[in-house]
Amino acid sequence: MLELTILIPLLTGGFAMFLPARLGRGLLVVTALLHLQLTVMAWMGKIVPSFPQYFVVTNEGMLILLVTSFVFLFISLYAVSYMKETEITSEPIYHGCTLFFLATMTMVTMADHLIVLWIAIEATTLMSAPLIFLHRSKTALEATWKYVMICSVGIALALLGCFFVVLAMDLGNVHAPITFSSLRTIATDLDPLWLKAGFIFLVIGYGTKMGLAPMHTWLPDAHSEAPSPASALLSGALLNCAFLGVYRAHQLLYQAGLGDFSSKILVGFGLLSMLIAAIFIFNQTGYKRMLAYSSIENMGIIAFGIGIGGLATYGAMLHLIHHSLIKSSLFLSAGNVLLGYGSKLVDKTGNMAKLFPKTFTAFFAGFAGISGFPPFGIFVSEVLIIIGAFQQGKNISVTIFIFALILIFAGASRLVTRMCFSPCENPDILVEENWARTLPSFALLAASLALCIWLPDSLYQTILSAIATIGGSING
Amino acid sequence: MIQISDALLSLTVLSVLLSLGSNRLMALVKIMAFQGIVVSLIPLFLEQHWPMSTGSVFFLQIMLLIKGLLIPGFLYAAVNKIKIKREVEPIIGYNASLIFGLSFILIAAFITDRLQISLPMENNLLMITAVTTLAAGLFLLMSRKKAITQVIGYLMMENGIYLIGTALAKETHTMYVVEFGVLLDLLVGIMIMGIILHNINSSYDDVDTALLGKLKDN
Repeated sequence: MLELTILIPLLTGGFAMFLPARLGRGLLVVTALLHLQLTVMAWMGKIVPSFPQYFVVTNEGMLILLVTSFVFLFISLYAVSYMKETEITSEPIYHGCTLFFLATMTMVTMADHLIVLWIAIEATTLMSAPLIFLHRSKTALEATWKYVMICSVGIALALLGCFFVVLAMDLGNVHAPITFSSLRTIATDLDPLWLKAGFIFLVIGYGTKMGLAPMHTWLPDAHSEAPSPASALLSGALLNCAFLGVYRAHQLLYQAGLGDFSSKILVGFGLLSMLIAAIFIFNQTGYKRMLAYSSIENMGIIAFGIGIGGLATYGAMLHLIHHSLIKSSLFLSAGNVLLGYGSKLVDKTGNMAKLFPKTFTAFFAGFAGISGFPPFGIFVSEVLIIIGAFQQGKNISVTIFIFALILIFAGASRLVTRMCFSPCENPDILVEENWARTLPSFALLAASLALCIWLPDSLYQTILSAIATIGGSING
Repeated sequence: MIQISDALLSLTVLSVLLSLGSNRLMALVKIMAFQGIVVSLIPLFLEQHWPMSTGSVFFLQIMLLIKGLLIPGFLYAAVNKIKIKREVEPIIGYNASLIFGLSFILIAAFITDRLQISLPMENNLLMITAVTTLAAGLFLLMSRKKAITQVIGYLMMENGIYLIGTALAKETHTMYVVEFGVLLDLLVGIMIMGIILHNINSSYDDVDTALLGKLKDN
């Protein structure tokens, strides 16, 4: 009954819509705990899907499900305290929609059928749109509109991609269920031309959701306008789920013997995303937008790593885990900053090191982590990707890669030092920080740190078998 | 049978060009209703779909209802209810839009010609119409300022995708997949609901001009 991981958040989400805010917060945390427990049970192989024609347990799916569930738990713990401090007219909508959102993301990680995956990704858009609109301001409306519009265009193109993949089946005279697991076995019989066309549309479609440039334009707006816990969810969980769509398409092409073609496209999109993020992060005025561009950069890194192949795929998978942990921690800290100063602009903040020591520690550590400093995991994953790229002889790509990383570090560090150390002009603190809102950030950072020092063997084996399907291995 | 489908296809292309050239919102809504009806009738007159099962006939009726009646009705309500200023407000002018539309037809014909190698059936016109509709919809989406015109562009693009689906649908597999395109109509419906509920006039809301384009990067 693996589908329970989808059904439970769906049901409790429905309840939460009608519960008073205080009870809803409790329900959120309880559901998050229950979801994590079910995920761990699925991870240990205790529960299996009841509808194997639509859902399946895959290594990469389980990996992303675990990350999503883990991050969700800490974000909902944070949300309990955050929601008390913010004035939101309809808190039950937040609780209901985050739970629905969790359900749809879970569905993405387990979907096996082409169309089920497509429906699940479409559903994540619909369920998360109310979260972005939660503050009901003009800018929130604009961000929500952009989000729904651009992602819907993406989703429509992804459907076209699904059509083409199915057409490739028809032309190859293949009669099998339209699931990724069955297509895998007969991939070489598929018509290569239409399979390639399908891949391009799938990558554009799901890549829009993942935030790959140049389809990323919704992302900075949505991430900066959503309430911080929702931003953390969007960045730490949703982007991974969309990535899974791209990954599955790449997997299919690799098995059909067209891996070179799809790798090149992924590397191209990856590098473009990193460069665009580097350009836009430089003159950024809002710190949440800065974090959003950093998400675009990191999605670019993951796409790059997957595209390069070999050792870099292992790095990309590690990067995915650590990016989720560190970035959601950063967005949670950004929520504290926003509560404290009451502004999303970097210029209105300052002297965080003195005024908000706990938040400062979490934020600065998170920044160091996301920039790739040891002892956080992103250091390891980026080094692995770079080594992997050199092993494959992709010297030009890796030069651009490193150049973009340096640019982004330079741009972001200017803003972060401004926030943390330069004097604040009118230091009236609106909301004091407290442990309830800083501990979840620390916990997420600590998880990244711990995984860097000691990677559990089951996690290691899962990553290895996940990347084996696209020809990646630890030995290059 | 073939002749009727060809006539319907040319009507679709005509409606696409009309929509690119029209400057009144209400006219645009009417064109979309017409296009919806034509597009959902096309599968009925395609040889490759015969004989039709009860399921597909039923599905065709649903598509007709949604594309021809429900969504245009929704759009009509939105235009009336929130007193959207009647002009379309193009970013790219009407004549230029028309030229773009015509060039889409050329490009579509070129693409279809090139892909002929592996397309399963002789459906040149259908493919050309579908690709034109798709491209013109995307163009309309990007070249008009108002939120409601963007939704109309999306609707047109989606009609194009539905047509491509029909063009490719021959064997058992595709038939089961094309139907899910109906979910895109659901998205359109939700967007129109958003417009009605939140009074979105322009996508960059114009009530307070100081806020215009607030979400931008320097």
